[in-house]
Amino acid sequence: MTPTPGYSAWALLRARLAGAGYWRPLWTGRRLQEAYEIVVVGAGGHGLATAFHLARDHGIKRIAVLEKRLVGYGNVGRNTTIVRSNYLYPENHYFYEDALRRWATLSRDLNYNVMYSPRGVVDLAISADEFPAMARRGNAMRLAGIDAELMDLGALERYCPELAPRRTRRFPIAGALVQRRGGTVRHDAVAWGYARAAAALGVDIIEDCEVTGVRAAAGVAHGVETTQGYVKAERILFATAGHTGMVGTMLGVPLPIETHLLQAMVTEPVKPLLNTVLISVFPGHGEAYVLQSDRGGLVMGGHLDGFPSFTREGRWDRMEDVVAASVDLLPQIAGLRIVRQWAGTNDMTMDGCPIIDRLKYDNVFLNAGWCYGGFKSIPASGAACAALVATGNPPDLIVPFRLSRFETGHLLDERGGGPFPVRQ
Amino acid sequence: MTRLTCPFCGLRALEEFEFRKTLPNAGDSPFARTYERIDSLTESAEHWQHVHGCRAWLEIRRNPSTGEVLCTRLLGGALP
Repeated sequence: MTPTPGYSAWALLRARLAGAGYWRPLWTGRRLQEAYEIVVVGAGGHGLATAFHLARDHGIKRIAVLEKRLVGYGNVGRNTTIVRSNYLYPENHYFYEDALRRWATLSRDLNYNVMYSPRGVVDLAISADEFPAMARRGNAMRLAGIDAELMDLGALERYCPELAPRRTRRFPIAGALVQRRGGTVRHDAVAWGYARAAAALGVDIIEDCEVTGVRAAAGVAHGVETTQGYVKAERILFATAGHTGMVGTMLGVPLPIETHLLQAMVTEPVKPLLNTVLISVFPGHGEAYVLQSDRGGLVMGGHLDGFPSFTREGRWDRMEDVVAASVDLLPQIAGLRIVRQWAGTNDMTMDGCPIIDRLKYDNVFLNAGWCYGGFKSIPASGAACAALVATGNPPDLIVPFRLSRFETGHLLDERGGGPFPVRQ
Repeated sequence: MTRLTCPFCGLRALEEFEFRKTLPNAGDSPFARTYERIDSLTESAEHWQHVHGCRAWLEIRRNPSTGEVLCTRLLGGALP
């Protein structure tokens, strides 16, 4: 069965006339072949985006994306959908800005509505002392041509009336750094859109196929062992997010990565209440980000659970921290009931920044270490990582994310928290 | 995993404790000790502190896939 050709107003009309059966699955089941030019391990956002760009930009025909569970089962379906590029370091803000520009046109590029909503991202300052740091970050962004606005209480009140920044709080709000082009993107649609677009270009997406080992000889990898049999591959990319540590263990290469849990939760849906994304980071007070999904639920998240874990269950006291900090910001949501809570496994690096580089062999690549910034970087990561895998040379945008930076001391420690993944 | 056992205070709520770091397990060079880790699905050796209690530093071995605590000892003390 072939997939539906394309989505448009014209297609809606044709579907109406054709009746039932016009809409087909987004991508169709393909059988695993014996050999591929490129095997991508992990059908999450980064794996699928890289496969899409390899096929579209570099014309590579034989690509497989192998997925242990289901497309979008991992962090691409577990994040809180926020996209932004409000970073201090040039290495970071140029990369995330590249992603943000791609988000703006992604629906058209994929012919799939990913519901990019530039509703703004509001980074709140809880004390006047935070302002200089925010101003510095905002100025660094503006020098790079990225929009950033330092708002006082009056401007913030006009921008987000529901927040009522002058309201008496335990930790009064002092102002905010706002990025208006930041916002949200529907996360599931990103996984499905990339999978559909990649499959349409001939990429084989194989679900329920776990990679268990890499066969190599004379310093070159020749293929991967999977639960569906051996697959030959000329080049291999690992984009396994929360299980990147396992890839290191499998290849016998220690990585500067620990796996931590990050949880999120959503309330019952209510009418439109919050017009932007609120982020409040205050050590000791708790950390929270709150936004309202298109369905109406208030989505909340906070800091990592705080110790290595693969359980995908959040700890209860962290949930309480997140709710307390969110209710402190928006007392009007205190009566809402939480209907779902979940957690994702995060591949936390020692400096909080990702790794896109070769791993052990000349033809094995790693796209990992996204910490909790993986979702917003998907389009930039896919394009740049595809260029690295296709040509063997990393584009300038991802050169700073090389694995050797830990050894040479070129860390990108945006938070300055030291080599402790839990503090990033 | 909702509670941990402190050798001094007994079984206490998880929020009284703070995870400090995982123990180096990848090599002996200063670089490996600082940055590199070998992830295991079944065992993680860590330093914790009973911050909101007796403030003792503990070495805890846990199964990170289930949360089960395999053993706990006072840092510098003998293994149980």
